[in-house]
Amino acid sequence: MNRWITILILLIVAAALAGILITRMQVWAAPPQPIAFSHLTHVQAGVQCLFCHSSPLRADIASLPSVQKCMGCHAMVATDKPEVQVLAGYWERKEPIPWNRVNYQPEFVYFSHRAHLASGLNCEICHGDVGSMTVAQPVVKMDMGWCLDCHLKQPPEKTARLSDCLTCHK
Amino acid sequence: MTKKLTRRDFLKIATGATVASGLAPVARRIALEPFVQPPEEALPGQATWFASTCRQCPAGCGIVVRTINGRAKKLEGNPLHPLNRGKLCARGQSGLQVLYNPDRLKNAVRQSGGRGSRQFEPLYWPQALDLLEEKITTLASPERLAFLGGLMPDHLYQIASRLLESLGASPPVIFDLHSALEGRAAASRLSELFFGEPQLPVYDLARADVVLSFGANLFETWMSPVAQNVAFGDMRSSASGRGLFVQFEPRLSTTAASADEWVPVRPGAEGLVALAIGRIIIEERLGHVGSHRDHAVMYQDVDVREMSAASQVPVETLRRLAVAFANADHAVSIPGGYLAGQRNGLASMLAVQALNLVVAQVGRVGGVFLSDPGPTASLQNKPAVHNFEEVLGLIERMQAGEVDLLFVYGANPVFELPAASGFAEAITRVPYVISFSPFVDETAVRSDLILPDHVYLESWGYQVPSPGADRPVVSSQQPVVRPLYDTRSTADVLLGLAARLEGPSQALPWADEAAYLEETVSELNGSSLGAYNARTPSGFWALWRQYGGWWSEKEIRREPELTDIRSKPLPVSEPRFDGDPQSYPFILYPYPSVALSDGRGANQPWLQETPDPMSTVQWGAWVEVNPETAQALGLNDNDVVRVESQHGVLEAPVVVYPGIRPDVVAIPVGQGHLDYGRFAQAASGSNPLALLAPLTDADTGGLAWGATRVRLAPAGRKQVLARLESLDGEGRESLD
Repeated sequence: MNRWITILILLIVAAALAGILITRMQVWAAPPQPIAFSHLTHVQAGVQCLFCHSSPLRADIASLPSVQKCMGCHAMVATDKPEVQVLAGYWERKEPIPWNRVNYQPEFVYFSHRAHLASGLNCEICHGDVGSMTVAQPVVKMDMGWCLDCHLKQPPEKTARLSDCLTCHK
Repeated sequence: MTKKLTRRDFLKIATGATVASGLAPVARRIALEPFVQPPEEALPGQATWFASTCRQCPAGCGIVVRTINGRAKKLEGNPLHPLNRGKLCARGQSGLQVLYNPDRLKNAVRQSGGRGSRQFEPLYWPQALDLLEEKITTLASPERLAFLGGLMPDHLYQIASRLLESLGASPPVIFDLHSALEGRAAASRLSELFFGEPQLPVYDLARADVVLSFGANLFETWMSPVAQNVAFGDMRSSASGRGLFVQFEPRLSTTAASADEWVPVRPGAEGLVALAIGRIIIEERLGHVGSHRDHAVMYQDVDVREMSAASQVPVETLRRLAVAFANADHAVSIPGGYLAGQRNGLASMLAVQALNLVVAQVGRVGGVFLSDPGPTASLQNKPAVHNFEEVLGLIERMQAGEVDLLFVYGANPVFELPAASGFAEAITRVPYVISFSPFVDETAVRSDLILPDHVYLESWGYQVPSPGADRPVVSSQQPVVRPLYDTRSTADVLLGLAARLEGPSQALPWADEAAYLEETVSELNGSSLGAYNARTPSGFWALWRQYGGWWSEKEIRREPELTDIRSKPLPVSEPRFDGDPQSYPFILYPYPSVALSDGRGANQPWLQETPDPMSTVQWGAWVEVNPETAQALGLNDNDVVRVESQHGVLEAPVVVYPGIRPDVVAIPVGQGHLDYGRFAQAASGSNPLALLAPLTDADTGGLAWGATRVRLAPAGRKQVLARLESLDGEGRESLD
């Protein structure tokens, strides 16, 4: 009987470990996207981050470009590429593109891009070198430890505010 | 049956569980859907606030709606709006659940299996318009078309009226239960008798020192509850003291609970109390008005002792209140909806309004003013609620087969009219019924065609609030989000229909409702009163939408002019009830639920979840019984009781409630939906309209909804109500 209990406990531990491992794995896994959009191609063509993700200087979110904005170029540019044709399909059907979220903050976190950009951070500091990625993938696990890691390294007059619970969990 | 777990099975299960727990986070994918075409003014992730008008009740409060990425997220009161001044009630807040309600119709439908089959077949809008056109053009005579409306925006009323007029049909009949419960039609009649015009009075609560409220649930559903709540707050925090607020009502309502004193008058005898108070003031020359000779005629038939006996309010109480009322600097007495719901409704309301005359509070600070009828002639044309007798007239026509085509907008007569009035049967005699309801309610189920309107957060419109504020006001309504589904504005459907017909196309030349509104509204531009003006019509149109309406910059109160009401004795009218007191010993008080009002809120789970302020019951209906009565009948909390009138029966659990007269039982209106969506149907409860006698007050033709006698019998079972506060008496609050 003892042997069964040992096996049971081992299996539970294994399940927990596997669960944790798979959750962590998600950090490095690029989620599948409806269109195989390549950041690399666009950055090489000289497009700036803020051209498509236009809001972070003014709003909490970085925002995804509207289909109309994509078509602003792709009505003319690279129309022979199969993925661009998929995009054109969405435009013709007037359907939004159901992108899968790459970087994720839970609902109980109030995160503002504007505040971070205003304090002089670049996109790459948190999002990594997206410009060299084909399909965007997360580079860091954006959990509270990671946030605090940076918040606590700020000048001493700021750390009290930046480590206050209510700054992010309003 | 036990089975021994084999090692193999055990491993299978364990492996399965491991895989499943590992997969769980992977399955969590969040889709981000950007706009196809972004609205120009929207910054993604940044809130945009749109001003509009609440349509959860007829008050017409201004709202502002927070929208993000094209989705409405939160409703608040419009801080600039003179009526509600930034405040909003629970029903108003819950408007989002009208917009996002899962039971909304997503397109026009036809009942393919015939009426009541609940088999809906989608219909393209052009087809729907073809059908409408065909039904209208094949009518034997335009008189065979009837339009039954409830709460509707002013512009839709005007468009519908013009359409019917140009077709030669009779104008819309406007009736909804909410308006009947607040006695809107009777209040309008009362104004005509007193002030010679039908505008509703505005009672200046904020600056009054003594308020006598006769059956007006000022802080729940009556007339303009948010404005009255704000004013009550001002009254309580006034520099001259808290003031005195007395509520006369057979039941301790939420309003009565906020009052300094609750006087449980015999039902229907509120007018007699008012007469007695008036008589005492005159007789004893109370107050500081000077001579009371002008008012003596009004009270010549009144005997204080008789009134006291009939209303069961002691003479000492009457005298004390008369002294307080007459001696106050600013006193006002308010005739409420419960009075209008009696067969002596108008007589009672006259008696209550006359008190304001006796203390010379008509047109004075802290007294009675009149609503502004609307700043321009076209804005003054607004839907006036009809009385119940006119609805009975329509039902008669339907029963006699004189109506071939019935339009129903904004009302749910099958649910809202007393079952005994026979509407549900009469509608089966109408060959074709078209409902414009966004939801499949009890009336829509009995129609052939449902052409769902947008809900109010997706619609255009405006409303001249009645009763109004302290100045002329028009509330504007605009879409705050793009319509979620393939619904269509009823005003546009009617304009589209008019364009296909020869006569109406002349009368209604507008391309759509927005064009109609722009034209109507532009008349306000350049007014010397307005809080803003613009150099161009389009500039004005933009400001009209940004402000959430138009109003005067300064306070302008309308002082009413008195008719010769003082020269005649006031009628002394005893209440009369349906059913004899021996077999039906209790008087039924079906009161509007503070959350669901007349039942139109029953499809919103937030409102269902809102505990009734007095009984703290959620998601259900109940019967309030006085502890004495309950003891005599052997009833306890949660015991199901059978309530029977001459016209119907219902069963519901009991709430033993000390705040009610022993000879009265009360049931909240609003529950008991058989259709109207999953939330309305999920809540337990019955509709007290099933019990009501279809009686009217002969003077106003209004529904006498408080004039039915009932009897109670224990049903011998229990149904535990969901209550926020327990009744276990073990350290927690209970009602006793």
